[in-house]
Amino acid sequence: MRKIYAETLIFFAILIVFGTANLINTHKPEISEVENRALAGKPVFSAANLFNGKYFEEYNNYYNDTFILRDEMILLCRDIKDTFTVDSGYVLVVAEKDKLPQVPGDDAGLSGEESGNGSENHEETASDGGEKIVPAQQEETETGGGEKKEQAPEPGLELEDDGNMGYWLLVDGKAVELFRFNKEAIDYYVETINMYQEKLGDKVKLYSMIAPTAGEFTLMKRYRNMTDSQNEAMIYINSKLHPDITAVDVFDALSRHKDEYIYFRTDHHWTALGAYYAYEAFMNARGEAAVPLERYEMITVDNFLGSAYTKTLSKELEDNPDTIQVYLPFTKNSFTRYSGNATKEVDVIDLSYAEGKDKYLIFISSGGGTWSVIRTEVKNGKKLLVMKDSFGNAIAPFFLPHYEEIYIIDSRFYSTAHTGMSIPQFIEHHGIQEVVFVHYMEDVNWAEFMQTVRNLLFEDENTQ
Amino acid sequence: MVFSSLIFLCVFLPLTTILYYIIRDRRWRNGLLVAASFVFYAWGEPGYVILLLVCGLFNYFSGLTIEKSKDPNKKKAKLVLAVSLNILILVFFKYTGFLIENLNRLLGFTVSAPDIYLPVGISFYTFKAISYVVDIYNGKVPAQKSYWKFLLYISLFHHLVAGPIIRYQDIAEEIDCREETPEGVRDGVRRFIAGLAKKVILSNTAAEIAGTFLDGDLSRLSVAGAWLGILLFAFRIYFDFSGYSDMAIGLGKMFGFNYGENFNYPYISKSLTEFWRRWHISLGTFFRDYVYIPLGGNRKCLIRNLLVVWFLTGLWHGASWNFILWGLFNFVFIVIEKKLLKRILERIPGLFSRIYFVIVTLVGWSFFYFTDTARLLVFVRALFGSERRNFINPDAIILLQNNCVFIILCILASTPILKYLSGITERKIEERSKLAAGVYNIGQPFAYTVVFIVSLVFLVSQTYNPFLYFQF
Repeated sequence: MRKIYAETLIFFAILIVFGTANLINTHKPEISEVENRALAGKPVFSAANLFNGKYFEEYNNYYNDTFILRDEMILLCRDIKDTFTVDSGYVLVVAEKDKLPQVPGDDAGLSGEESGNGSENHEETASDGGEKIVPAQQEETETGGGEKKEQAPEPGLELEDDGNMGYWLLVDGKAVELFRFNKEAIDYYVETINMYQEKLGDKVKLYSMIAPTAGEFTLMKRYRNMTDSQNEAMIYINSKLHPDITAVDVFDALSRHKDEYIYFRTDHHWTALGAYYAYEAFMNARGEAAVPLERYEMITVDNFLGSAYTKTLSKELEDNPDTIQVYLPFTKNSFTRYSGNATKEVDVIDLSYAEGKDKYLIFISSGGGTWSVIRTEVKNGKKLLVMKDSFGNAIAPFFLPHYEEIYIIDSRFYSTAHTGMSIPQFIEHHGIQEVVFVHYMEDVNWAEFMQTVRNLLFEDENTQ
Repeated sequence: MVFSSLIFLCVFLPLTTILYYIIRDRRWRNGLLVAASFVFYAWGEPGYVILLLVCGLFNYFSGLTIEKSKDPNKKKAKLVLAVSLNILILVFFKYTGFLIENLNRLLGFTVSAPDIYLPVGISFYTFKAISYVVDIYNGKVPAQKSYWKFLLYISLFHHLVAGPIIRYQDIAEEIDCREETPEGVRDGVRRFIAGLAKKVILSNTAAEIAGTFLDGDLSRLSVAGAWLGILLFAFRIYFDFSGYSDMAIGLGKMFGFNYGENFNYPYISKSLTEFWRRWHISLGTFFRDYVYIPLGGNRKCLIRNLLVVWFLTGLWHGASWNFILWGLFNFVFIVIEKKLLKRILERIPGLFSRIYFVIVTLVGWSFFYFTDTARLLVFVRALFGSERRNFINPDAIILLQNNCVFIILCILASTPILKYLSGITERKIEERSKLAAGVYNIGQPFAYTVVFIVSLVFLVSQTYNPFLYFQF
């Protein structure tokens, strides 16, 4: 070539620089902290993988995931987009909803037949194979494993539609998820809890505790009706629950304290303070006095950027991270976690998680494996089962002064295959007298999630 | 592989280009392009490389034997055989499932459809092959004597997976004697960057926002939200598709090939008829030359011919009823325009014909978007305010506010305004100072560099895939 023009030179120079940098970069990251997932590893070469195209597909993922300066470029892109986004006080971010994790070793839950009340969340869409599900390993968490959407866009005309969307509103320096009432899903929740009541009868006392999300208490001056009323949903649920089930009135409790720091701004969970008020309401319902908050020693953990930040990557949130207030339990206890067939002694409050990204895992050490139990020095013979999602993590430590044994089960990770027991059998086996269902409104409003709770009613999860 | 992937950009493209320009010999350069094209195809479709090879082989021999045939009947029979086989390949790999599903429904069978995975690009390379054998039959171009050169035509990675549907006669000469010039490479790079930006910045962002309206609970959608959603989808599909064509044309120029334009600012049209002269031109002309005119064109059975063409156009876009409906929707409006509206649209002020065009096109795109007919019906009714829908709701207001700059950018990018402005500047520079020329000559590479880097940043960032395992 006689001459090279500036564009040509710059274009190829950039590509070659990046190409070479990726080639010689030997310290490829394996985990993405901000995305909370394991990055794709270099695929293993095999003839079979080569011919079915899997090898190339995985190699693409690996190349994309370990691209040099990837994290920096993601944030730079965020900044570029921010520059062009007109912030009218409200920014609406739509992000894919979470998917349920897959429990390794068995295919609990979702492989079972749909029980009719399909929720919007997993509507089948007829796309031409635009979307493939590739299981990915989640190494750093014990119960991990998950699903991952293939990123490579198809050329031209292949379209994918995905009905699984969450709406996040950034307003006043915090992110709140907008609630979309789904009657079918709500009915499914009621039905599920009622099924537990019928199965367990009057030997066991059941409580339904539903945590509203921060959106319920966020004043949206300019727009009413942006989000459906979670309180109305709760009133609807309570009117349909079996009369023997006690609905814990969390809404009023939180509402009275709505100007306090009861929800994180960058995360969808309640704070320990919010959880404390819910605990108070629970104690009221039980007719027992709550331990005053002053009894607890409080420590704080700074710089928490939670799920809402991960979803939205909002600069405003990033510049204004949350502080986690942790109330240290004064009740002596031992906390045993059963993961599959392995057991491990862990701490109710584990501050080693304060160093990582998911600082919320401080509360009951990430949640509790297949199941877990806290045995306390309170020798009153009372035994509680907490059937929970992650909202239960922050509230569980407050139960310590009231029970001798507190069992913790997250329906996503419990497996009848490992324990050989359905939940009713588990309850009977351990002599549990009280069960509290702690779920937050988005999970209550998500039949696919509640299906994991319902499945555990039966010994063989997949028969229902 | 796709153009808008990091591995294509950072590994495949620089390697291929450098090797290409190290090699001097024309034959070796062509050989390299064939080899690179097969690597390109194999990266996405290793199993179907053989299909591509076989398809190439059989069309190559078809071309030779059709050309040699003296007896017109035999010649015709060979053509029919060659075309049928290409169509058969396409039908088998693309429509088997769809056909079986519909036969089941029609006849009450319960035959399970075999699981055939659609080979990427098959719609494009079978059409290229058909145009090749028909053109040989009509004596428009001599058959290619070398299998490798024919393979270069059929499999060249520039237009292998997403078009344009290049005709053999347009590049027959360039296979043997093309001229790679520095200007050509520069123009190719510019064009490629423009296409990449369209795809990665505009199309993908538009897709994200469009999904907000179109993929959610349609019963909550406001009228304005429905229009906004489908408008963004219109941008998404245009920038996606024309972006790919730009990249293909740009790649061609980098290697000395000159492909025809595939899109000509379709959204500035004043009628659907005009739109189809500007949209996916290589497909429109394919159906015109190989279906419409052979059927008799506008001389006999006009309506039937149009119906066939639009039915096939719809079906070509995908094995699903909504695409057929979309084709028929176009058919209806093209006929109405031909018979009735044409004179009116020409007379009324441009603004009104444009409004007419935008409404018709956007309603048309809803047929294209919703593969689920039930959702399609709800959506089309939402466009026209069924069930006492709100005209606008807070979601739509906020999203419109948040993204108004982006939407304006999309509108501007759909018009030839940039082309117009740079044309003016160039003319002024010719007339006047050297200083202005200097600024322009620095400014343009600078602008392309910025756009390219931003595109790369967007591309990397689109691999962001948070996994919130704890329902966190």
